[in-house]
Amino acid sequence: MGTLISGRSSPGLNGPPTVNPMLFDVYAPHPTAWDELFTRTGGPHTHCAPLVDRLGRLFATEFQAKRASADMAFVNQGITFSVYSDRRGVEKIFPFDLIPRPIPAAEWYPLEAGLVQRIKALNLFLYDVYHDQHILKDGIIPADLVLESKGFRKEMIGFAPPGGVYIHICGTDLVRDAAGQFLVLEDNGRTPSGVSYVLENRAVMKKVFPHLFADIRVRRVEDYPHRLRDALASVAPVGAASPPCVVLLSPGPYNSAYFEHSFLARHMGVELVLGPDLFVHDDVVYLKTTRGPQRVDVIYRRLDDDFLDPETFRPDSVLGVPGLFRAYRAGNVTFANAVGTGVADDKAVYPYVEEMIRFYLSEEPLLKNVPTYICARPADCRYTLDHLDELVVKAVNESGGYGMLMGPSSTAAQRAEFATKIRENPRNYVSQPVVTLSTCPTWTDEGPAPRHVDLRPYIITGKSTWVLPGGLTRTALVKGSLVVNSSQGGGSKDTWVLENGR
Amino acid sequence: MISRVAEHCFWMARYLERAENTARVLEVNHTLLLDFQVPVDRQWRPLLIISGIHDYEPEPTAENVQEFMTWDRDNPFSIISSLSWARENARIIRELISAEMWERMNFYHLWMQGPDGREVYDGNRIEFYAQARRINQLLHGICDATMSHGEAWAFYQLGSHLERASQVARILDVKYHMLLSRVEDVGTPADNAHWIAILMSCSGYEPYHKTARLVPVDPGTAVAEFLIFDRLFPRSIRRCLWECESAAAAVAGNEVGRGPTEPEQKIADLIEALDRGTIQDVIRDGLHEMLTHIVESVHEIGEAIQRTFFAAEVRPPAPKPAPPPGGQTQTQTLGGMTQSQA
Repeated sequence: MGTLISGRSSPGLNGPPTVNPMLFDVYAPHPTAWDELFTRTGGPHTHCAPLVDRLGRLFATEFQAKRASADMAFVNQGITFSVYSDRRGVEKIFPFDLIPRPIPAAEWYPLEAGLVQRIKALNLFLYDVYHDQHILKDGIIPADLVLESKGFRKEMIGFAPPGGVYIHICGTDLVRDAAGQFLVLEDNGRTPSGVSYVLENRAVMKKVFPHLFADIRVRRVEDYPHRLRDALASVAPVGAASPPCVVLLSPGPYNSAYFEHSFLARHMGVELVLGPDLFVHDDVVYLKTTRGPQRVDVIYRRLDDDFLDPETFRPDSVLGVPGLFRAYRAGNVTFANAVGTGVADDKAVYPYVEEMIRFYLSEEPLLKNVPTYICARPADCRYTLDHLDELVVKAVNESGGYGMLMGPSSTAAQRAEFATKIRENPRNYVSQPVVTLSTCPTWTDEGPAPRHVDLRPYIITGKSTWVLPGGLTRTALVKGSLVVNSSQGGGSKDTWVLENGR
Repeated sequence: MISRVAEHCFWMARYLERAENTARVLEVNHTLLLDFQVPVDRQWRPLLIISGIHDYEPEPTAENVQEFMTWDRDNPFSIISSLSWARENARIIRELISAEMWERMNFYHLWMQGPDGREVYDGNRIEFYAQARRINQLLHGICDATMSHGEAWAFYQLGSHLERASQVARILDVKYHMLLSRVEDVGTPADNAHWIAILMSCSGYEPYHKTARLVPVDPGTAVAEFLIFDRLFPRSIRRCLWECESAAAAVAGNEVGRGPTEPEQKIADLIEALDRGTIQDVIRDGLHEMLTHIVESVHEIGEAIQRTFFAAEVRPPAPKPAPPPGGQTQTQTLGGMTQSQA
């Protein structure tokens, strides 16, 4: 790699060398980060060898042509998201990088076990905080941290959701540090998005590189929609129709994730509904159809708690349905996810998840968190303020990469602004040491170059728990950037969980 | 089926059909220009009038009107507007239509929005109209062959044929507005050519000639008869209304003992109005008046469909016949998306 490997020349004996390099000829890995494809000594990881070998036979120009055809496929299929700042709804494609990110089976199984363990603890935690609050009484987690969380919904106290599940769909963000260890960055237990890109990325990869899939065994992701539908049907309320009527409630076509909503509805075989399509009568939810009302049993809602029901939550919500929460409390409908799960993905509660696992399951956590300083704790707050230039500071209730300070790359003015904000409202902030995210070769204007990636596996829980093999690999497209969110200009890759032996 | 979804499906079909017919009428007028010297104003203004556009300020030259009716995004009846509304409706019900349908729809949307469509328009006008016409034909075919023929398909059919009936009436009415007002013009080569052009714009040239009729033929009567009354031709108004009739019955369901819904009733009324007379009666009483009646009736049928299927006051199920729940007013959430021609 780099200058050590000379470029194989284009066909033709006397052709000039390196004019049209092979794909990985000019790849220079990141100096310190873990590379998902290559070892420090320059060769591919053992499990990546077949992939590197096959992709490496492509000329850079061939790769470019495949890239263009992949982009066209996304545009023609309208696989786009709209950008919030633009009301006219300019549709953009989520940049997709054709070099996949492989995960060997041996690494995936412990990850999967760790995620299952984690979601189990999170669901037990949610049941506990809305009932007896043992974990608070025992002082494992400071009570005020939980009870004052924006995600804590007092309306849920004493109520057990149908099937006993709170987080039916969880998107847990993992990163890999410089030593190659996977760490949990955060759990998204409200309405995690992005799974449609996992499925579409795979579909496009199969179109563009069919032979790769013939040579290398990759675990399927296409079962996700059916798994989700079955899981949701399995926790329908008592008295539901057979099969239960499951709908996906979307905020509507102007929401940035509308493509995903319709994608999932289509693949799950359920109706996509908007708030005005539903009404509640005698605490039962009905759908307005051309032939009269139809009872609804399970709502996969892609709408935040605040907007669900103007009678209970934000009265100005026009996206929700009056009386929906009453129907929920009456046990006549299942919401996925349950109301009030935000308290479990509060960034200030996150540091305690390892403790939750020990407390509820009497097990050692299989997955570690990134060390986190909670500014609500005076010592942590002092440490954060003293080390702003080394830390990542995050607002606890933001997502999508908003409200974040990247210490090492920040200006003095930005640090001063955050210091003021932290002093004003310490509860609202946590900080973490900067993790040098692993990198993966990614196509750039200068050819393949290392770009930082994370990984969001999706965990579905109904009567049992299932983890989508792989998940969404998000990649920063700007050199050196550690921010991978799509709203911040990140892209994505196909994630390959390799089957044993190949 | 969800009322809102049914509404988007119905309008997607209508906008597609509308775009096709706009392309047809522009094409035929453009072609006519090659044969005859008709005062420009008389040749192009009628196209605006039949779309209900009365406030067009520039001089209605061939280029002005074609540009306006093809590319003007602020003109709700332009081809580009119709196609982009069709695509927006499709995007909203993306989960309902087939992947193939959506991919093609999106392809043509991008074709119109990007440089490709414009290039064809500038380089070869006839080819452009042919391609624009083909968009609906292709999408309708894909839909027919890939979508389950259930309720959504019935709404699609209803939308297509209702719009087509109205558009054919409008195309026929161009003749009235282009009026060769002097009696001595009737039956001249220009007059006859114009009737043939109208026929061709509806793809009716060959089927028309294959239909046996008494000689000598007066094209003014025979063409109008064919496009209004023919029992077999898929673009005749009567045939379109029959299609509407069965689609409306399909969407209403087949409950035993059910009386006709308001749209079914209104469609039946219009069919009956056609059945009452012959083309001679129509010409005697005024072709323009008949066509206007058809366009207005189609509008009323559209409103009845809206009332009956899309914005029906949903009554909670028995046993307690309580009033509709509070605050549930059915409003048109996507203003402008489902506008109809006045």
